[in-house]
Amino acid sequence: MADVEFELTVDGTTSAVEAGFSESLLTVLRDRLGVRGPKVGCAHGRCGACAVSVTVPGEDAHVLCACLVPAAIVAGCAVSTIASINGPDGELSDVQEAFLAEGAVQCGICTAGFVTAATELLDTNPDPTREEIEGALYGNLCRCTGYGRIVAAVEAAAAGRREATS
Amino acid sequence: MTGGIGESVRRPDGPAKVRGEFVYAGDLTADDVLVGVTVRSPHPHARITRIDTTAARATDGVHAVLTADDVPGDPWFGLTMRDEPVLAGDVVRYAGEPVVALAAVDAATARRAARAVVVEYEVLPAVTDPEVALTAPPLHPQAHPEGNVYRHVAYTCGDPDARGVVTVENTYRIGMQDPAFLAPEAGMATPLPGGGVLLEVATQWLHSDQQQVARALGLPPEQVEVRLAGVGGAFGGREDVTLHTHACLLALATGRPVRVEYTREESFLGHRQRHPGTIWLRHSADADGTIVAVEGRVLLDGGAYASTSPVVITNTVTLLQGPYRVPNGRFEGSSVRTHNPSCGAMRGFGVPQAAFAHEAQLDALAAALGLDPLEVRLRNALRRGDVATFGQTLDAPTPVREVIEGVRDLPLPTGPAKAPGGVGRAAEGGTVRRGVGYAVTIKNLAFSEGHTDESTATVSLRDGHATVHCACAEVGQGFVTVAEQIARTVLGATTVTVTQPDTLIASAGSTSASRQTMASGTAVHRACEVVRDRLLARVARAGDLDPATLSIAGTTVCAAGRPLTEVADAAPGHTVRATEHFAHPDTYPLGSTEGGMYVGFGFSAQRAVVDVDVDLGLVSVVQIASCQDVGTVVNPTQLLGQIEGGIVQGMGLALMEEVVVVDGLITNPHFEGYLIPTIVDAPEVVSTYVTDPEPGMPHGWKGVGEPPLCTAVPAVAAAVRAATGLPLPAVPIKPEHIALGLGSTPTVTWTTPRPAAPSSPGRAVVELDPTDRTGTWDAEGATGA
Ligand code: FES
Ligand code: FES
Repeated sequence: MADVEFELTVDGTTSAVEAGFSESLLTVLRDRLGVRGPKVGCAHGRCGACAVSVTVPGEDAHVLCACLVPAAIVAGCAVSTIASINGPDGELSDVQEAFLAEGAVQCGICTAGFVTAATELLDTNPDPTREEIEGALYGNLCRCTGYGRIVAAVEAAAAGRREATS
Repeated sequence: MTGGIGESVRRPDGPAKVRGEFVYAGDLTADDVLVGVTVRSPHPHARITRIDTTAARATDGVHAVLTADDVPGDPWFGLTMRDEPVLAGDVVRYAGEPVVALAAVDAATARRAARAVVVEYEVLPAVTDPEVALTAPPLHPQAHPEGNVYRHVAYTCGDPDARGVVTVENTYRIGMQDPAFLAPEAGMATPLPGGGVLLEVATQWLHSDQQQVARALGLPPEQVEVRLAGVGGAFGGREDVTLHTHACLLALATGRPVRVEYTREESFLGHRQRHPGTIWLRHSADADGTIVAVEGRVLLDGGAYASTSPVVITNTVTLLQGPYRVPNGRFEGSSVRTHNPSCGAMRGFGVPQAAFAHEAQLDALAAALGLDPLEVRLRNALRRGDVATFGQTLDAPTPVREVIEGVRDLPLPTGPAKAPGGVGRAAEGGTVRRGVGYAVTIKNLAFSEGHTDESTATVSLRDGHATVHCACAEVGQGFVTVAEQIARTVLGATTVTVTQPDTLIASAGSTSASRQTMASGTAVHRACEVVRDRLLARVARAGDLDPATLSIAGTTVCAAGRPLTEVADAAPGHTVRATEHFAHPDTYPLGSTEGGMYVGFGFSAQRAVVDVDVDLGLVSVVQIASCQDVGTVVNPTQLLGQIEGGIVQGMGLALMEEVVVVDGLITNPHFEGYLIPTIVDAPEVVSTYVTDPEPGMPHGWKGVGEPPLCTAVPAVAAAVRAATGLPLPAVPIKPEHIALGLGSTPTVTWTTPRPAAPSSPGRAVVELDPTDRTGTWDAEGATGA
């Protein structure tokens, strides 16, 4: 299959890409663009380690598994990886801080995916219930933590946002 | 004092991890790097009749295609027995065995070349039933001409034929569990000037890798430098060599760096699993529940190559007694070679299997006698000073009663929980019943039976900044945090760097067996103490003070308790440095009269609360309450992380995780078919501790990583039994076991009490005649099929 050429905007930088027709966004990010924040856990959409946020022009951002999406499909969209998540001055975001404070990180291979998904959750629902947290994060696997600290981190970040706005 | 021992210090590698900037083994790259891939056998047993690599070599962009003939050194490797070929040359013994390794300019080219490799096989019959393998002709006569038993252990204590009023027996089955760390195997090898090689790899045990790789390459070990690359979880599954040697061979053959990263499927095929096994147990007790005698027999399927099978079997057999006093017993077991996937280390190392079986027995005993399950456990709880069935005196804290009381007193969860089945629930079910179950376990800590358990650390201090160097592999557990805490507490360091582990320092052993805080933590502690004493001696010399009056409090050097100077200012521009070694006291083989088999033990009790949809067979674990013997709390947040993480892996084994092997082939080598718990499946965890300091350890710390898993498996199973009334003698408990009521019930026999013969020695006797077998196997009933 011949390669296709397209432009991809990742974390605010637009690059020309030449890739296989069905080459996944994850492979293009990691192997062609050297963007290694999204991780490979399964390459089959079952673990969420590769989660990135994609904004189709005129629509809301969506978190999806970069391993499942052919890169060419998101040409023209804005792809945000974990590298785009931080506080206004480049410091850690509230979600990232909460993950560290609550002990939600062990080996950390799942962390970029969880932070990405949890950030999207809190951006759209600043006061999630336990069920809503589970609903937003069940596509992300973690083998180290048993999830308890991850739930605690998301709840702590949500509480912080509530305090900041009240 | 901030950041010292006892505080919830944050991980030093945490900021890079939450930013996605931490470099894992799979992220490694270099100029001119090649990609290595592995061609594997599709058959569990076959003779290789032809390997033709012509087309692969001719593929554009391919730089090397290697077969068994290209291994310059020892063609065999292995952790305990060198029985595994680096690349199979004549015979393959499991499906997934590496046959050819090749390197090409990129992954797509390498995969295309791999498809062009021609390997012809003459398929041979595969022995996949461990029961058959026990007596089958040798499956691997070259390495193991005596037969297929990796190790057989057998011993008695007291009078094994003593009887109480009731005897309960059943056969239990434990499925094969995959460590399923989330980052598949990865590493990069780079040729070094002078003919050596640098291997950066995600591993648990750098020096074992170095020895095994060097042997295969025909190089002295110092020509193979192993450096830890970022590890995405391990759980035992990275203790054996997988891609290590292949990457190094390819790098040396091409003169270029070669990176290898397994796919998830290759990860399932390439690393060692938890041993599946069958355990027969017979408990005899008095009317008040006092255990009179226990007889047990274990068969573990070790798969195609030995790995740690000869070691794991001893854990399973000796800890069949559980955390209970057993005056009379007869124990036996084998790990055996088959053509199934190789099994080796996984968190718990043989003990979850034993724990699942002995705890089911304790509940069956309680039920037969009409006693409360906790009462029976308390009545038999081991205490400090007791002698275990395997002859070792428990001379350290043995808080079995305390951990049981610790969970018993916690309030039960109330109110409705989510419907069983989580996101996989596809239908409305019927009756949901709640069940509560308990389990208590003993787990040996550190290496055993004469395998030296040691570590070495170098610590330097300059202007208040400490640097810690140790070969202890950080795999996610948080040793880097603990090392930093130690340096802050002992040295008063204001900042600490823990450098990347490598083989330039002496071995720290494996990050396994719950051992690294004890071994490497203590080595770091000792090195810090020597550095502190040297610093204080220097301060004393400079100020003409008596060094005995000097101490460090917080970050301050004190003289006779009064602040003198800050540690950071105590010796400006001068580096104080020390290297210290730590080894636990020696251990001895089972049956030795010289000393105990094990360094120490950890105890844990859990109470599981589950909701079971009895029509659909679906289970939701509502809560697990845990009380664990932890010595001391080094870092509360990291400790909780070990407890919660271990519990969820244990519930995974209890309810959903099984590597399904049919005729030697794994049918579910992927996360679509191999289910690990998600955030929806994970229970609420309530965690409490017994802190009785471990003698001989700084601050009384002890290993904590494995007990939570060992206990969760039987606790969850007990709760599901309580909810359903079913015997459920096999894990994982599958929906059909519940919905169709599969599995054999324990056999309860009322017996005529027979006290132990007074002449029976209380000490362990080893190596009974292997034909002197107890009990009967009831594999059919045990599988529930
Ligand atoms: S790597 Fe994309 S979901 Fe696992
Ligand atoms: S922290 Fe290791 S997989 Fe989540």
